[in-house]
Amino acid sequence: MSRRLLELTINGETHQLLAEPHWTLLHVLRNQIGMMGTKENCLEAECGVCTVLLDGRAVNSCLLLAGQAEGHQITTIEGLGTPENLDPLQQAFIECGAVQCGYCIPGMILTAKSFLDENPGHVPSRQEIREAVAGTLCRCTGYGKIVDAISVSAERRLAKQHKEPAA
Amino acid sequence: MSFDLHRPNTMAEAIGLAARLGPAARYIAGGTDLVVQINRGRATPQHVIDISHLADLRHDIVQTADGFSLGALTRYRNIERHPAFQDALKLLPEAASVVGGVQVRNIASIGGNIINASPAADFVPALLALDAELDIQGAAGRRSESLRDFILGPGKTGLQAGEILAAVRFKPLPAHSATAFLKEGRRKAMEISVVCVAASLTLDASGKTCLAARIAVGAVAPKAYRAAAAEAALAGLPADTASFRLAGQLAAEQAAPISDVRASAEHRHHLVSVLVQRALETCRQRIAGA
Repeated sequence: MSRRLLELTINGETHQLLAEPHWTLLHVLRNQIGMMGTKENCLEAECGVCTVLLDGRAVNSCLLLAGQAEGHQITTIEGLGTPENLDPLQQAFIECGAVQCGYCIPGMILTAKSFLDENPGHVPSRQEIREAVAGTLCRCTGYGKIVDAISVSAERRLAKQHKEPAA
Repeated sequence: MSFDLHRPNTMAEAIGLAARLGPAARYIAGGTDLVVQINRGRATPQHVIDISHLADLRHDIVQTADGFSLGALTRYRNIERHPAFQDALKLLPEAASVVGGVQVRNIASIGGNIINASPAADFVPALLALDAELDIQGAAGRRSESLRDFILGPGKTGLQAGEILAAVRFKPLPAHSATAFLKEGRRKAMEISVVCVAASLTLDASGKTCLAARIAVGAVAPKAYRAAAAEAALAGLPADTASFRLAGQLAAEQAAPISDVRASAEHRHHLVSVLVQRALETCRQRIAGA
């Protein structure tokens, strides 16, 4: 099948490339654009390491055809923060010691971001957090500190909202 | 694996494309079933028609004078969080919230899950317990069919060539009604059901007598079934443990489970009777607490 021109908006930037129709978003991100933050593993939406945000909602990029992502805002871990200016979730993961081997962490952080953004005024319970990240597996099994980090980040977000009410 | 991807703008265009391309074409919405099937070589379409962006294929939940209408593109996560489904229709978020992980529920459509016709689909029993009707769009126009008649067996439905499932409808529940969905797997999340049960129960105004029940059971037969004998037996019986236990036993008699890597047939049989009883008891408590 012939390649066709694809236009994707990734982390606010437009990328144009020639793509095979069957390529997934994950394949395009890693193998065509060279953004390696999004990880590849099960390719069946079981493990969550390939999670990206599609219009702010966490999805598995391994099962999303790249062509279907046209017209949407795609956010990868590369778009979340910089070493000098970390996203608050990234900061909380570091402070809580939530990172072991690191392979699940990009997907874990984006899964958490999507979840926290669904309910801005709410600090979720540990059970709610565990349910929210159930589709993202950490085989170091370091879930306790991951839940700590998401919880800390949610508390800080709420404290900040109280300090700086929306204009 | 290789195919052409088509992205029409309307249902009419999509249906026209499907008619022209014939059996070598498949529709795709969320893709969470189809792309896995393609990767495993179980589906080998030469053409994939993206219906996830059609202007006239709905992805919203609409309350009508006649109940609710869910667009076929409605995502599970939106059902989980919908304010109208947190009371009497609690079985909908309960069933929606156990479909895959959040990432799947953010993109998988309820229509795709129905068309996929897995015997273990979690959302299908919930819709069966609401007597859901399907709106189906084809080249000749729109038709309706009950979900109960539509699913024929594993992977088989009454969808005709080129047709698109457009919406799922169900009527409101009578007063003094509640619903519940229970699932048993080998772990708490990211799991294919060993057994799942959806129930809707209506009591009289005193809360003591069963007026009507609808019970649907999944993962223990080639397709999810309504426990007709149990439903019939419950009408007029007291809303108590003995009645619910009887309903569980009758529902289990209808099961035809297989033994597989997840559970033995014997264990599944037992689970049907336990879960039906528990789901009815949950409904009774919810009616009392409402």
